[in-house]
Amino acid sequence: MTATESPERRSMGDRVYDAIFTNRLWRSIFRSGYPNTPRNQMLAVATNVFLHLHPTRIHRTHVKITHTFCLGGLSFFLFLGLTISGVLLMFYYVPSVERAYEDILALETDVRFGQLMRNMHRWMAHGMVLTVLMHMMRVFYTGAYKPPREFNWVVGVVLLVLTLLLSFTGYLLPWDQLALWAITVGTNMVGSAPLLGEPNRFVLVGGFQVGQSALIRFYTLHVIGLPLMAAVFMTVHFWRIRRDGGLARPL
Amino acid sequence: MAAANTQPVAASRAVEARKRRQREEELLVWPDLVFIEFISAVLFTVLIVALAVLVDAILLDRANPAVTPNPSKAPWYFLNLQELLLHMHPALAGVIVPTVALIALGAIPYWDNTAEGQGEWLSTPRAWLNTYVGAGVGSVGTLLLILFDDAQHAKMWEKLTGTDWPIPALRNLRAIQNEIPWPESWLKVPLGDKLLRTDLLGLPKISLNVNIPGLIVEQIIPISTMVGLPILLSIVAWKAKIAQTKRDHMILQFSGFIAVYVTLTIIGTYMRGEGLALVPYTIFAGDH
Repeated sequence: MTATESPERRSMGDRVYDAIFTNRLWRSIFRSGYPNTPRNQMLAVATNVFLHLHPTRIHRTHVKITHTFCLGGLSFFLFLGLTISGVLLMFYYVPSVERAYEDILALETDVRFGQLMRNMHRWMAHGMVLTVLMHMMRVFYTGAYKPPREFNWVVGVVLLVLTLLLSFTGYLLPWDQLALWAITVGTNMVGSAPLLGEPNRFVLVGGFQVGQSALIRFYTLHVIGLPLMAAVFMTVHFWRIRRDGGLARPL
Repeated sequence: MAAANTQPVAASRAVEARKRRQREEELLVWPDLVFIEFISAVLFTVLIVALAVLVDAILLDRANPAVTPNPSKAPWYFLNLQELLLHMHPALAGVIVPTVALIALGAIPYWDNTAEGQGEWLSTPRAWLNTYVGAGVGSVGTLLLILFDDAQHAKMWEKLTGTDWPIPALRNLRAIQNEIPWPESWLKVPLGDKLLRTDLLGLPKISLNVNIPGLIVEQIIPISTMVGLPILLSIVAWKAKIAQTKRDHMILQFSGFIAVYVTLTIIGTYMRGEGLALVPYTIFAGDH
């Protein structure tokens, strides 16, 4: 399909458009032309694995910034940003009691953009806790947890817990005084649970006090265990938004 | 749509009109939503990079198990729980309260399963009123309880009158345990090892000795406060016709919960210094 209605009088722009958007390479990747017609715009969303998280059409009130303040999307965006900056940080970090603190120092002084990467990871982590909490408040105050969306609210609560745990496990990794004692205080809270508190704390910390075993456990949970779990629950979360008919609407 | 304009049958006009209105209310995700997402992603990338350039992440001295900083604090989002720890039994503050709070949070849609107020910000009548009342009572109430447990009323009395606080048992929560002449037999009530059969779980047997005044101060009063005050709030709001529907009560309680959470977090972060005393504090001020 060519862009112009009258193929016999094609302008320069039409020729360029066809050269880019109707050639075999473009078509092999995107299937439809550039999204400049309603048909192509819907195809662009429906045939793209990333964009098809969205429906092709939504209600006009839902694109108002003040309806959602983009909070759920921002939480996901920060999760992606944290994944990218986190992978970069992993290049320079060894989760050992002997090396961890020196690695962070070296990251800040010797590695190009190392300090920037660490700062971004830290601020995005704090930001994600905030956006997830505010997203929960947005969903509550817009009554978006009501049937048929009950279970997606529960999935959201699980994601809130996972976000807090992700942040908490990351807190230990710099292995400075702030990290060690915050985790000591935090895990002691777990230890105070009736009956199973102390065994649970022992499993979490891998010993009687926060040391090498705790560091490797927190590191493993932080870089693979919890992100995978969060990814699974996010998939369910996003999928159910679509299944339940998109954002909630007044009846 | 052209077909709709030429539709001659009057009976189907209403249906057609509704359909057409619905389609007119719709926008295409590309470009209307995708571009908003793109722009906010760019905006936040710039914001985060700017923040990361301007403010460095904190890094203290190398971890040293031998040197305990004073105060030692959990990460900020757990400081609400750490604040609770100062006022009740650690098992209650550290584990039971957060567990119950999360279950209650998850149960919200199963409790308030009405359709009212869906899809719009605080759209039911009295929604804003209940938000204000819940948030106000939650934050002020939390503040008053913390000030009470810090004996601020007694200190104020002593400052103003120059005499000792006249009711020592009401100096703070712990004073109820320490200042009342409880019978000696109440301090250690043996329940034996029959009550908690931990041996069935392969754990050591626990011989329970209950300290009744301790139980009252660390468990019974905090639990009744945390359960009773929200119920009381709902009853008062119901009688005063502030909260009339399920959604009203839900907004009232949720706003109260958020206010308590935020108040506890702020106090735990900025108002707990050395020895976790109630004084202004920032992590950047002290020399760690």
